[in-house]
Amino acid sequence: MALLKVRRFDSIGLWLKTGDSLNFSGCITHSCRTSSSVSDKKQSLLHGPDLEDFVSGDLQDRSKWAEYKGNLKRQKGDRLRLPPWLKTEIPIGKNYNKLKNTLRNLNLHTVCEEARCPNIGECWGGGEYATATATIMLMGDTCTRGCRFCSVKTSRQPPPLDPDEPLNTAKAIAEWGLDYVVLTSVDRDDIADGGAEHIAKTVSYLKERNSKILVECLTPDFRGDKTSVEKVALSGLDVYAHNVETVRELQRQVRDPRANFDQSLSVLKHAKKVKPALLSKTSIMLGLGETDKQVYSTLTELREAGVDCLTLGQYMQPTKRHLKVEEYITPEKFQYWEKIGTELGFLYTASGPLVRSSYKAGRHIVAVTGWAAETGLKTTTDMDGLVS
Amino acid sequence: MAQNIARTAGLRAYLYLRVALRGPTRIPCRALMCTAPDDRKVREKVTIHFINQDGEKITTSASEGETLLDIVLNKNLDINGFGACEGTLACSTCHLIFDEDVFKKMGPVLDEEMDMLDLSYGLTDTSRLGCQICVQKWMDGIVIRVPQEMNDMRRKKESARK
Repeated sequence: MALLKVRRFDSIGLWLKTGDSLNFSGCITHSCRTSSSVSDKKQSLLHGPDLEDFVSGDLQDRSKWAEYKGNLKRQKGDRLRLPPWLKTEIPIGKNYNKLKNTLRNLNLHTVCEEARCPNIGECWGGGEYATATATIMLMGDTCTRGCRFCSVKTSRQPPPLDPDEPLNTAKAIAEWGLDYVVLTSVDRDDIADGGAEHIAKTVSYLKERNSKILVECLTPDFRGDKTSVEKVALSGLDVYAHNVETVRELQRQVRDPRANFDQSLSVLKHAKKVKPALLSKTSIMLGLGETDKQVYSTLTELREAGVDCLTLGQYMQPTKRHLKVEEYITPEKFQYWEKIGTELGFLYTASGPLVRSSYKAGRHIVAVTGWAAETGLKTTTDMDGLVS
Repeated sequence: MAQNIARTAGLRAYLYLRVALRGPTRIPCRALMCTAPDDRKVREKVTIHFINQDGEKITTSASEGETLLDIVLNKNLDINGFGACEGTLACSTCHLIFDEDVFKKMGPVLDEEMDMLDLSYGLTDTSRLGCQICVQKWMDGIVIRVPQEMNDMRRKKESARK
């Protein structure tokens, strides 16, 4: 049977020559080599999808990820393939283009574009009920640090801050009529206070124009400078977020050497100390080679530091210049971490392969804090103008 | 001679124009540093050996005048997380360790390079940042080591104990 296959497709194989654009010829030659893989293929053809499945369009049951046979842990010299639960749609559509144009016209940057977030199609597209959401990035699109997981541009001397940015950003966001907005920024070690004043001004202008808006800031660590942390914490925001990115043991490897776990933890602790009514939030990427024990001890440390909200997501290699993915964590494992997070006492734990720090942030906060009741925000999925 | 002046003048003019039209640009810090024969056809091919974090030896050929960062990126060499800042002296991910004799022959270290090098993990006396080192003819056949990551160090210690 195998030989027959070769003869039948042989002419095509020759015509395709090195045919590296098609797996097809490669598959045929591979299956000839071992009889066991031929019988495996026969089995999978027998029990696999039928014509009806293809026609109905419902090929994969997303809950049965256990059937995925690909490799999830990286071996030496290898590069893992993307598992099916991480495949996302290519961003296209009216909403996506409209948002892109609006941002360009207002000279605003988003971390969605700069860090190549896989959720960009979903968040910017808006979907059936929700309106488009974006996370604005302040202080430009160029960072002074080069972390090995992040594809945001890096430079020793980024362009100077735009003094009109706080006002323009506040005006734009207020005009949009949003209920919840996440502001993030790049690291600016070249500025004396790390850009804290700039961020604080944006938040206060925003609150001036729209006092009902809920603001979350995902800040840098300001090199541990407590006065900068205070400036931002007291600017009027509602959620203070700062990401520790990974477990304590991998900090040196994953983040820029100027960042470290204790510094980040001190930022979160200080923000809470300065304004106890603030909610503090952090985020960790899984799949960089950490062990379960390391993750658990990191979560415990974070809870002991008083961090309220936690998000866990899968690390995905943005470009070839960045760290390879060591392991793809299954959705079931993410559910497990969500359970652990809740048990440890976090106000909410958002955990999933495509979850990012500001993914659906508004909905989570509103759901757990009851601020919805006070400000009259809708809590169903068809929230208008909610920015995550 | 006249050709060289014309070329440098041309390069400067291009860079001024670029800044004027596009605004401040992220010019890699080694752009004006590498000296290589002007005629591309005459550039020699040099063989370089890398030993990556897993201990594997990777052999590649490079043209004179390319930086080591360029070689790793352009040839897609299997070195994990290399060149995060794209050669702007804002990170230390292109940290490489050379042999003593090779290290001595290299050019001087810029202050900015020293600042970034000081932050890198596994710093040695013969460490340099790959984005600042241009390949030259005399580097043919040299062996360059990529510093091992903390995880690997621990894994090795554990397996040694066993």
